[in-house]
Amino acid sequence: MKVVVTGMGVVCSVAGSVPEFAVALREGRCGIEPVEGDGDGGPRLAATVKDFSFPDAVAALTGLPETLRQEAVRAAHRSPEALQMDLVSAMQAYGDAGLHDTAPAADRMGIVVAGHNLSSGYVQQMFPKYQDHPEYVPASFALQYMDTDRVGRISQVLGIKGEGYTVGGASASGNVGIVNGSRLVEAGAVDLCLVVGATTDLSPMEKRGFATLGAVAGAGTDDPEHVRCRPFDVRHEGFVPGQGSACVVLESEESARARGAEILAELAGYDLKLSATSLPEPDEDGEATVMTGAMEMAGVKPAQIGYVNAHATATPLGDEIEVRALTRVFGDDIGTPWVNATKGLIGHCMCAAGVVEAVASVIQLRDGFVHPNLNLRRPIDDGCRFVRGAAQPADIEYALSNSFGFGGFNTSIVLRRPPHASVRHG
Amino acid sequence: MTMNEDDIFTTVKTNVLAVLPDLDPDQVTMHGTLTDLGANSVDRADVVTMTMEDLGLVIPISEFQEVHDIASLVALLKRHS
Repeated sequence: MKVVVTGMGVVCSVAGSVPEFAVALREGRCGIEPVEGDGDGGPRLAATVKDFSFPDAVAALTGLPETLRQEAVRAAHRSPEALQMDLVSAMQAYGDAGLHDTAPAADRMGIVVAGHNLSSGYVQQMFPKYQDHPEYVPASFALQYMDTDRVGRISQVLGIKGEGYTVGGASASGNVGIVNGSRLVEAGAVDLCLVVGATTDLSPMEKRGFATLGAVAGAGTDDPEHVRCRPFDVRHEGFVPGQGSACVVLESEESARARGAEILAELAGYDLKLSATSLPEPDEDGEATVMTGAMEMAGVKPAQIGYVNAHATATPLGDEIEVRALTRVFGDDIGTPWVNATKGLIGHCMCAAGVVEAVASVIQLRDGFVHPNLNLRRPIDDGCRFVRGAAQPADIEYALSNSFGFGGFNTSIVLRRPPHASVRHG
Repeated sequence: MTMNEDDIFTTVKTNVLAVLPDLDPDQVTMHGTLTDLGANSVDRADVVTMTMEDLGLVIPISEFQEVHDIASLVALLKRHS
């Protein structure tokens, strides 16, 4: 059974919608800025969503019925901002897929929220109140701290009554969610599944932990003005936390055709393998295995892959191992696919990253370009076809998108431009 | 310090409207119930917690079992003020 993408939504530091994201990617817009504070040794750069207003973001969804927009505001006006962003990206994807016009039965629609430990920042914000007066911790806290509140509240607003749950795989969570959502559709459990890459609200304590681990750029006393996120550059020094949410609607081709929905892409293949480790170190074997596995499932050879959306967080070891794995998998064809790193523009959206990057990949397939690698001056490797300078035109049929996570999560997905679709040159 | 019943009601009303912003403020009266106004179980508990915090009161959760409408909520809060 073919599983296709029929809807997409995104909220991140450079865009509040998919059309805005398409423009931002093409322009190579960067959402990373120095942050105030964090003088405790934590990251001093971040790609945050500026001036997010939940009521305004919902009001902007003019393609959706007024009653649905009202229900969204009613259901989530007191929710933490991270959930509100997820609800907005889910509503965008729901509308993009035309589900407000024609949808399967409620119990034939599922939702997978990709991510875990999503609300630590919110929990830490509540802690002083608990210390002073535990009696004043509100009842809603007991629901809102849970990752599953994202499932509950989005399903409530959109009337989703099929299977639903959260799945996790550290920084690979987004792709883990896509794999699970696809399996629900393939198994016939649902006709379509919303996969939400969830906004990860890291607490200052967690960010400090990443800095201690040596994984972030611009930590401690580094002057944030002189540090950049530099995936694949010899001066790369770690990731930059990014704030963002994205959603894709995965649907059986049959259901999509029956509804008359536009097919944006096909999820042609995927693979997910562990490295049997608890450690943060990347694993060349595991990475190569899943890239190969995803291509085999899609029935494509490396030479047919026109574009790789790399995991590429800009940690020196992570970038180097990914390049080695790519070189091993692509062999003589290593110079064929364009390679870029969306994290260089919008930071590392943590649990959401895989879904955000799937959306970025579909945009580039559809619109016929590859976005630039920001701050790439001296690449760590001469073999890979890194996008240099500005965006490049690219006629891509198949894209590979990698996500790897601490604790040995290796994932790769293959997306295909619909055979009948011609490239839209914007 | 014993608080005025009107002040307590005003605080309750403010929090009801914070939880249910769609309401017409005139709909919130001493004679109504939070449920009839559209508050779900979590909304009702939050109105209580928010009001206790605003008034600086701490009342055992078990005592709220006697509350059946806004008037009895205000009476309970007043008794502890």
